[in-house]
Amino acid sequence: MHIAEGFLPAGHAAGWTIAAAPFVVHGARAVVKEVRENPESTMLLGAAGAFTFVLSAIKLPSVTGSSSHPTGTGPGAILFRPPVMALLGTVVLLFQALLLAHGGLTTLGANAFAFAVVGPWAGYGAYRLARAAGAGLLPAVFAAVALADLATYVTTSLQLALAFPDAESGFAGALLKFLGVFAVTQIPLAIGEGLLGVLLFRVLTVNARPELERLGVLKPAPLATTGGAA
Amino acid sequence: MTGLAVDDAAWASAWRRRAPGDKVLLCGGLVVAALVLPAWPGSVLVGIVAVVLAVGPARVPVRTFGRAVRWPLAFVLTGAVTAVVEIGPGGPGWAPDAAARAGSLLGHALAGSAAVLLLATTTPMSDLLPALRRARVPAAVVDVAAVVYRLLFVLLDSMRTIREAQTARMGHSSLRRSYRSSGALAAAVLTRSWDRAHRMQEGLAGRGMDTGLRVLPEALPSSRAFLAATVAGLAAVVAASVVLA
Repeated sequence: MHIAEGFLPAGHAAGWTIAAAPFVVHGARAVVKEVRENPESTMLLGAAGAFTFVLSAIKLPSVTGSSSHPTGTGPGAILFRPPVMALLGTVVLLFQALLLAHGGLTTLGANAFAFAVVGPWAGYGAYRLARAAGAGLLPAVFAAVALADLATYVTTSLQLALAFPDAESGFAGALLKFLGVFAVTQIPLAIGEGLLGVLLFRVLTVNARPELERLGVLKPAPLATTGGAA
Repeated sequence: MTGLAVDDAAWASAWRRRAPGDKVLLCGGLVVAALVLPAWPGSVLVGIVAVVLAVGPARVPVRTFGRAVRWPLAFVLTGAVTAVVEIGPGGPGWAPDAAARAGSLLGHALAGSAAVLLLATTTPMSDLLPALRRARVPAAVVDVAAVVYRLLFVLLDSMRTIREAQTARMGHSSLRRSYRSSGALAAAVLTRSWDRAHRMQEGLAGRGMDTGLRVLPEALPSSRAFLAATVAGLAAVVAASVVLA
């Protein structure tokens, strides 16, 4: 759930846009460099952005019987790295605002900071830490995807608490309120998205191993020895 | 039909042939007005103008416009109620000015959303992307965004087809099966997107298009009458808000 158009006061909307801008510009530079060196990357990066949009449209079954939608940035952060996801996530947010009325234009900066910057970086950080600690690919993917989802909603709660501090208890009370509504309720959904990420990567390791090796997610398998001299 | 109601409305809108810059000026002005003018009467006026223009001269179906507002409405209602609840020593309760603050948040958000929807339901993304290029966004970034726009409909169609097939095979008959099917669905969509990207790249390389996606932009001339009406209308909304407030 993104912050809707007009919901944030003008000063906050501008502030979060300024905060998100360096990450998005850095992502844009990374994309320009990649396309200059490998012109064929345009199509692959476009496919990555379209996949993120479509992943966020997949209905995820919920234990309560209802359904929800993944944020979709966790797998992208592992596959394409957070700087590229900062740009692709912002493009996806722009499309969600203009094709689904989900989010907004003046709140694009705030949503980009939560969805395209904090989420992917938190997810990628969890992935790298888990891998460095000796975890296998799938547990690391679960940690990354679940944390990317949860970090996005914690950031959204923080943004709302800053904009609408509680009259009695101030920022801390407001943060508790918004975390209770937007982040705590998200925990089961984040676990669900983590499971979806595990199932996704389990299929990919079988069906798309060369792509995962090319993206550096998996180490190239050692060549099988034939036992005979050529 | 592309499968996204807002995009379908944009292609079918009576304002489809209007210059994107003209519509950006109108809708951008309404978005800013919804944000900075007081909710009463500013946001109310902006909301009315946006809805009347959309379902009137732009001929956007009322049903499409109404359904599209549901997305922001869910967030706005939840967010506004949470914002006006106070946590005091005696536990949570309503703030003294809860109704006025909630109304103000609802007004700003719904009017702003209606203004963005006016742009979204009258201007396809493929008309807006060249405007990004004119705003000095690097060509490589605009090209990537253009590929995202073109591929996402193909992938959404693939997703619906695969999900339908999974459902027909009892793939969503239990929570466990549904999760497994959703994982397979996401993997299938991702591998298809890579496959599509490779095939498009090979096709473009075969045509010698290896340095950017150059296309002939559609000529959509700006209208002075539309621009004048936009400036006059926005000025009237601001003046009426100041006078009525």
